[in-house]
Amino acid sequence: MNKRSILLFVTIIVGLSVSLFAQDGAGANKETPWLEGVTIGPHPEELSPVLPLKIYLENGEAIPATLTEDVSVTLVADTAIFDPEPPSEYNGTEIPSPKWTRNAAVSWFFIDWEKNKNVAASSSQQLAVNQMVVTPLNPTGKGAITCHIGRKMRYTSPETGKNKGTFANSSVAQDVRVLDITPPTCGLEVSVQGGRSGTFWVAENPPHKYPLPKLADVYFSGALVKEADPAEIITVQGLELGANMVVAPETAAVYVPADAVLNIKVNGEDNYKLDTAKLKYGICKIASGEPIPISPLNAAEVALAELTLPENPYLYVDATDVAGNRQVLFVPLIVK
Amino acid sequence: MKFSNRFWLIVAVMFVCTSVWPVLGQTDAAATTEETPEIPGSVDMSLGVKDTTYVMPENFRGKETGEGDQQWLEDVGYLMQENSDLYNVDAAAIAESANFEGEPNINWEVKKEDADGNMNTESSDNTNKATNDSNIKDPGYYQVHNGGARQVSTSGGAEGEAIGDSGSDSGSESGGAASGEETASAGNEGDASGAAGGDAQTVTAQQRIGIEVHDCTAPDMWVAFQEGAGTVNMAETEEALKAQMVGKIIENMGKPFSTDAKAFEEASYIFLEEGEDSDRDSIPWEKTARLSIAGTLFNECGAPKFESGKLSSKTDQNDYTNHVNVIGGEGKSLKGVYVRRNVPFIIAAISTDNGNKRATAGEVEVKIEDADGKVVEKEGEGYLFRVPNYPRSEYKDQPDYFFTTSAVDKDGNLTTIRMPLYVVNTQAAFEGGRNQ
Repeated sequence: MNKRSILLFVTIIVGLSVSLFAQDGAGANKETPWLEGVTIGPHPEELSPVLPLKIYLENGEAIPATLTEDVSVTLVADTAIFDPEPPSEYNGTEIPSPKWTRNAAVSWFFIDWEKNKNVAASSSQQLAVNQMVVTPLNPTGKGAITCHIGRKMRYTSPETGKNKGTFANSSVAQDVRVLDITPPTCGLEVSVQGGRSGTFWVAENPPHKYPLPKLADVYFSGALVKEADPAEIITVQGLELGANMVVAPETAAVYVPADAVLNIKVNGEDNYKLDTAKLKYGICKIASGEPIPISPLNAAEVALAELTLPENPYLYVDATDVAGNRQVLFVPLIVK
Repeated sequence: MKFSNRFWLIVAVMFVCTSVWPVLGQTDAAATTEETPEIPGSVDMSLGVKDTTYVMPENFRGKETGEGDQQWLEDVGYLMQENSDLYNVDAAAIAESANFEGEPNINWEVKKEDADGNMNTESSDNTNKATNDSNIKDPGYYQVHNGGARQVSTSGGAEGEAIGDSGSDSGSESGGAASGEETASAGNEGDASGAAGGDAQTVTAQQRIGIEVHDCTAPDMWVAFQEGAGTVNMAETEEALKAQMVGKIIENMGKPFSTDAKAFEEASYIFLEEGEDSDRDSIPWEKTARLSIAGTLFNECGAPKFESGKLSSKTDQNDYTNHVNVIGGEGKSLKGVYVRRNVPFIIAAISTDNGNKRATAGEVEVKIEDADGKVVEKEGEGYLFRVPNYPRSEYKDQPDYFFTTSAVDKDGNLTTIRMPLYVVNTQAAFEGGRNQ
């Protein structure tokens, strides 16, 4: 083998290595799309102290790992940023003549890591600057309360002897999950031959009500609900959202011919996750507050003529979410 | 050993090294996870403006240097950028053998300082991007804040949750490691009862920049002329008219309170303001103003009208202050104000500024002067001219009169009006649509 061959071989190896490194670099950019366009490094060029921060409940106890949706907690932030004077030393570096020049600015957030979305906390209550009421509004299995505090300070630059402004920063997170206490809000769509249909659906109202019980309105529309005005939306207000939502026939009902074949479609809704394995719907009667199915479970098509209907049949939807909250809605089925 | 054999030996050693090195690295990593390295509660962050073209010098408009605050102009968008070790591909800079779980959560927030020094949130945007266009519409002292968070775990980390200690050492503390026992348990739970982040811990970072946003908008101004004769009920005093204007100018954010000419039968108004909302957000060197004239006193016929038009304004190239200047006269959109002889009238001018979001209004001095600048004094509570000077061709011996007023905000933005004031012969002039 001559030296020229060796040189060629080494050149190929080096070229391959360089191209592989280049691919790695491009891959890194694709892996961090949030940094697109960023040209500064990850650390501040000037002194900017990061001070420890603790957050806890107003009674001094630790924030529980599990919070409950719609239940407020009052939190307290504890950091040297609220001290009368800024730190005079940071990471072994002296900070000469430090003075606060502005009030502390405090921000609280709730991050839902399952959606990677945050909500800024705010309170209409008069609270101390280091306090905040946090009300998690949506359940999550993976969340965090974060607190960010910054305060403008001034110190004498050792290099120039002149004043210099900077920010002292504090931030911390408390990882929490948020328990779902709201039952599902499911409804049904029913249609018969000839295109006539009736729909009913459920909406929590008022939203995020606490203490329990949750309340909901049930909405009805369609020709099978009101033949004279199918577009009208009938609202049955103030039902307790839960396992015994019985709509009175004088407020709303679904009217069908005795020989109708019902096409039934469920609208499954929950504020977190519906347990689809436990979802049941169809025609039933009520016994001890529980639905006794008359039609085959979850049948998309039900011929009324094939059923032995009780005196007061109901369309029903029986839904449970993954946290175990149950909704059973009974809507009168009037057979003409 | 022959040269070629020696060469292949070197190649073989290279391959062995490249194969073994990563394995050794993995072994090292595995070894360190057993030590459960401490994950800090927070890390530092850099924050700045990416394009500093329109960032003004530190001593802009006489600002004290050394504060570290940036000097911005209102209505100019500045691209902010930030960076932190939380945004890296791997978490090695956070803690040894640490891993990121998922993408970072990034929030941009703007807070404004109120009169009491409290920082109040103006906007909060969860963009999950490390750059953000920040366009502040109103002058004042602000802080742009970036808050970042990301879930970090260690491959050999504890199974427990990252929660605070209890008792005297309670709470979640930045700088500490994931530790502690679960302090509350859920009863009837499904997925939402899963581990809060597993062995992952949320690590945070934040940084702020102080920003002085400078006012580049001339003040809004309303001028009212109210006669005290005929069927019109004159305000009892000039003060009453001013008080009425203060209420309306704040209520309407400087915009005309009506565009219906019939609403101006009692008094005639000049409205000089930034215009529609879209115009109000114009960048400083493209700012315009809207001049509206309403009532019976702005034409020689005394016909009621409401007219509105856009004016250009002048921006100072050094300090970016804005000057809206209205010059009335023949051939201009505002020809002048036409008052009747022997009919007393009052003038009131009120100004409001975007410096405090037009939350307050203040009185502005008005003057009537002749061509030599000699000020015409009031007679009693109002002005009264006994000799007509209009049409000018018929009353050449009578002096020219001018109405002038100006409003300036604390930053030097200026609104000025100067227009002829004509005294017309009174008898049946306005209602008849002609002068005598």
